[in-house]
Amino acid sequence: MPDRVSPLAGSAVQGRFGADKGAPGVKLSVRHPASIVAIIARQGKSQALKLTLDRMQGCAIQWAGADQYYAVADGLREGELYSELKSRLNVLAAVSDQSHGRVILRISGPNARNVLAKGTPVDLHPDEFPAGKSAVTQMAHVGVHLTRASEDAFELSVFRGFAENFWEWLTEQSEEFGYQVT
Amino acid sequence: MTSFRLAKGGLIDRATELSFRFDGKGFTGHPGDTLASALISNGVHLMGRSFKYHRPRGVISAGSSEPNALVELREGGRKEANTRATVVELYDGLVARSQNRWPSLDFDIGAINALASSMFVAGFYYKTFMWPKSFWEKIYEPLIRRAAGLGHASREPDPDKYEKSYAHCDLLVIGSGPTGLMAAVAAARGGARVILADEGAALGGSLLNENEEIGGVSGLTWAQGIIAELGSLPNVTLMPRTTVFGWYDGNIFGAVERVNDHVLEPSLYEPRQRYWRIIARRAVLAAGAEERPIAFGGNDVPGVMLASAMRTFANRYGAASGKSIAVFTNNDSGYRTARDMTAHGVRVEVIIDSRADAKADAGGVPVLRGRKIVNVKGGKGVAGVELDDHTHVPCDTLAMSGGWSPIVNLACHQGAKPRWDAAIAGFVPPDVGPAFTAAGSAAGKMLLSECLADGAAKGALDGKLPQVATCRDEAFAITPLWWVRESTGKAFVDYQNDVTPKDMPLAAREGYSDIELVKRYTTAGMATDQGKLGNVNAIAILAEATGKTIEQVSTTTFRPYYTPVSFGAFTGPFTGHHFQPVRKTPLHEWADEEGAVFVESGLWMRSSWFPREGEDWLAAATREVITARERVAICDVSTLGKIDVQGADAGAFLDRLYCNTFSTLAIGKARYGLMLREDGIVFDDGTTSRLAEDHYLMTTTTANAARVMSHMEFCHQALWPDLDVQYISVTEQWAQMAVAGPRSRATLQKIVDGIELDDATFPYLAAKELTVLGGIPARLFRISFSGEHAYELAVPADYGSMAARAIMQAGSEFGIAPYGVEALSIMRVEKGHVAGSELNGTTTAADLGLGKMMSAKKDYIGRMMAQREGLTDENRQCVVGILPVDKSDRLRAGSHLLKRNDPPSMANDQGYVTATAWSPALDRWVGLALLANGRRRHGEIVKIFDGLRNIHMYGEICEPMHYDRENLKLHA
Repeated sequence: MPDRVSPLAGSAVQGRFGADKGAPGVKLSVRHPASIVAIIARQGKSQALKLTLDRMQGCAIQWAGADQYYAVADGLREGELYSELKSRLNVLAAVSDQSHGRVILRISGPNARNVLAKGTPVDLHPDEFPAGKSAVTQMAHVGVHLTRASEDAFELSVFRGFAENFWEWLTEQSEEFGYQVT
Repeated sequence: MTSFRLAKGGLIDRATELSFRFDGKGFTGHPGDTLASALISNGVHLMGRSFKYHRPRGVISAGSSEPNALVELREGGRKEANTRATVVELYDGLVARSQNRWPSLDFDIGAINALASSMFVAGFYYKTFMWPKSFWEKIYEPLIRRAAGLGHASREPDPDKYEKSYAHCDLLVIGSGPTGLMAAVAAARGGARVILADEGAALGGSLLNENEEIGGVSGLTWAQGIIAELGSLPNVTLMPRTTVFGWYDGNIFGAVERVNDHVLEPSLYEPRQRYWRIIARRAVLAAGAEERPIAFGGNDVPGVMLASAMRTFANRYGAASGKSIAVFTNNDSGYRTARDMTAHGVRVEVIIDSRADAKADAGGVPVLRGRKIVNVKGGKGVAGVELDDHTHVPCDTLAMSGGWSPIVNLACHQGAKPRWDAAIAGFVPPDVGPAFTAAGSAAGKMLLSECLADGAAKGALDGKLPQVATCRDEAFAITPLWWVRESTGKAFVDYQNDVTPKDMPLAAREGYSDIELVKRYTTAGMATDQGKLGNVNAIAILAEATGKTIEQVSTTTFRPYYTPVSFGAFTGPFTGHHFQPVRKTPLHEWADEEGAVFVESGLWMRSSWFPREGEDWLAAATREVITARERVAICDVSTLGKIDVQGADAGAFLDRLYCNTFSTLAIGKARYGLMLREDGIVFDDGTTSRLAEDHYLMTTTTANAARVMSHMEFCHQALWPDLDVQYISVTEQWAQMAVAGPRSRATLQKIVDGIELDDATFPYLAAKELTVLGGIPARLFRISFSGEHAYELAVPADYGSMAARAIMQAGSEFGIAPYGVEALSIMRVEKGHVAGSELNGTTTAADLGLGKMMSAKKDYIGRMMAQREGLTDENRQCVVGILPVDKSDRLRAGSHLLKRNDPPSMANDQGYVTATAWSPALDRWVGLALLANGRRRHGEIVKIFDGLRNIHMYGEICEPMHYDRENLKLHA
């Protein structure tokens, strides 16, 4: 099996960029290669699916709309998470492999929230949007699945085709704070 | 030059000197100055020319309402026209120019307009440019356009960055004067998330300009204490230099933050301005009140200004407006200017108070009660004033106060009208509910103690009122005086549009008596200041002229924007190639390596053709077609919409969406499908495959991918919520490539794992999941848009370019080449396959020759409406093939079709050419067309008329399929 090639392989170059005001205000990275599987509840199975997903081990479950979720994990083989969830959830949900279709960007640091506020109308105050919460939003004209990973770290999942353009926007908005790509 | 800088006082940094240029001449000022205060401190009052009469003008106000001192700020791409000198913070190296004058501000030829002022009355444009009609386009319009507007915009691109951002809060406080500070601190101490926004460079509002006393200290000291407390709280965001310009649905406020307007150039990584959308649970309007002028003769001579502006220039900027001052007022606040200026050591000659019974404290300055000014002597500066008793008062500057107007604008942005309050002679904000309340002088509370208490009450979201400090109140009493009827000189109600008190009665006499019509007819209240100073006077004068009360006349409609907002702020970062997002396919990198020329297709970048040395687009596309027809070629088709459809009712769902049937499709097979809109017109087409009993893969056209998805969402959620079906876009998950041509099978055979691609295991329309290149999951479809023996191969996107390279290598022995959408388009026209130019939102399935696909055995979207008379009329235009009779003629898409001997006219129109292609196989141009009753007209010779190029030719109508009509190659 050949390795997967990230659409940001040429863009997300490691280093320190933007304004130099001491420690970088923002840290950016690409979560690749990740396994991402979309889960949609079957007719009448919303509750049962939710209960099952609440107990799910081995992958993170992120809300993605009414009766919809993403399962996300790292370090798995091609199609592994998809096959596993397909067999485990088949009665409760339809699953679809989106590992290649979406790109997850991570943004953290003291100014992460300020950068995101330039794109999303979602209120990111920790009381309103605590760690673990997700929202389906739009930033810079691109649909974004936004998740708060921790107090000051967020994940932005976008369609692969927009990844390069979105990365460019995100880094430009981070420039005033100084950013580090890892 | 004499300095008008006061010896001490003011919030300026006297230790630092800033150099700037105005109209080419060098001056100096200090940090903390505005351009206006710096010019005044240099003795410069003449700052602009008026719009219509080109009268010399100076500053009227000291803030954002300034109508006269409009300048072109900066140069080149950074030039900003119509910028108010009163809000431009001075910086070193500032360059500004005056406007609306030629050749110079001092000597302006346009001033000749003033001599003909009897001609330029209200409605002048409408009366003068009516006839002769033929003059309009060539003479009047260019003339008006040249005269219109004030400053000139730069034609160079703006080099600076602009940003957009969102903010959320429990309480937005608009204005940081005494009211706003109390509101903010009351909410903040209770733990609420507070945003305090103010248009000024520094927070403090009127406390920066006025001598007040709060809690035993100066108003400024008190304000600094509160601001420091607010700044230390994590739940408070202070936003100076931020104008809240509009109030919108959902209690969302628009604001613009001038991040770097106060410096010569923004630093590399910072924007010039930031456009905010502030989503507020509650908001308090603490914008204060605006002082009004009075309309009297010569009230626009440079050196005549609002009384509050004069003391602001002195108190805040240490700039004396003159050396010999007179004050004209109809209320008590004018006396503050006399007292403040006296305290600054400036000579105040007299207070002229229109009220005979005025009782305010003049601080020792003589007062002439019951007197009015009828004219100001002087042209480019004040030489004295003439009173209605014919006495003359010498002075070099005049402060005027016509009372105060609460700044109600934002509260009226959703349509409510303000209410007239006779006690303060001003409009007060309407009650628009608890989410947005006005407080302090914005709500008509004219005493400082009332402002502090009201701010505290409106800001205390948790009901806990903070302690309100005691303060010294200035008396407020007013007897309205809108204009001096006895004026001997020209008086102005609206400075920016040169509207005089005579214009309102004139408009009313001519039938335009409604205030909205008066605004349009006289232009009162238009342009950059939107009547902030003059509107109330204009309303009062109109009321007088029409015998109505001010309440009955009411105001014009308040709309955003409170003050002008630059286009840059609205555009934000979305300029140039960021205007819309760019979407790249997973094969982009591979196509780029192969030398593709990309074309924008929606947001996608698609490979259009792959030129080799010396080839133009047609030569390249022609070679690519020949390669596909004779050998093997590969094309990126990843942009086609792909929707994964699952569930027990997936087949039933598709049967209702498509006009043909999918529940009967065998597993492992693909079928072409046609979707209609509810109105019976064709919506979209594409191939849909069945991967398992309850699992389909739908494809849509590139253009309609998102629309089909929303259509499915609507149909499922609104029409058939009982169906057990789940669907999701998988467009981006898969890199998909068409591999077409006689050697496509041999090429692909080399990369698939363990499967024989013969007709038995992989027949026409087979659709199967398999693996390629040693384990990469893939989907292979034997489908063809080109008419050749062809496949489409899909692999997960991250493997896309790698797989395409592998196919190129596998096919190299057969002479494989990549092809783009141009070659794709040529081959589809040759084969008569319909695409976007035929599926154009006007055609039915029958029009496209696909009528037989409409199932008679089931119901589906569009079935009923497709049976309408007009949609089944046999004379409808339907798809035909067309060939030029002269083989050397080039067909042009868009050409219209006529009967052979008819001249071109709308009435004779028979249809038009939808698509054309140079067919390498047939060695001629071929086309598709929509032609009335076309299917029965095969063989007819028609006239082809290209009105754009004025080309006439003849063409023969034929069936749409031009090439390989037996489909021998498809099944080869």
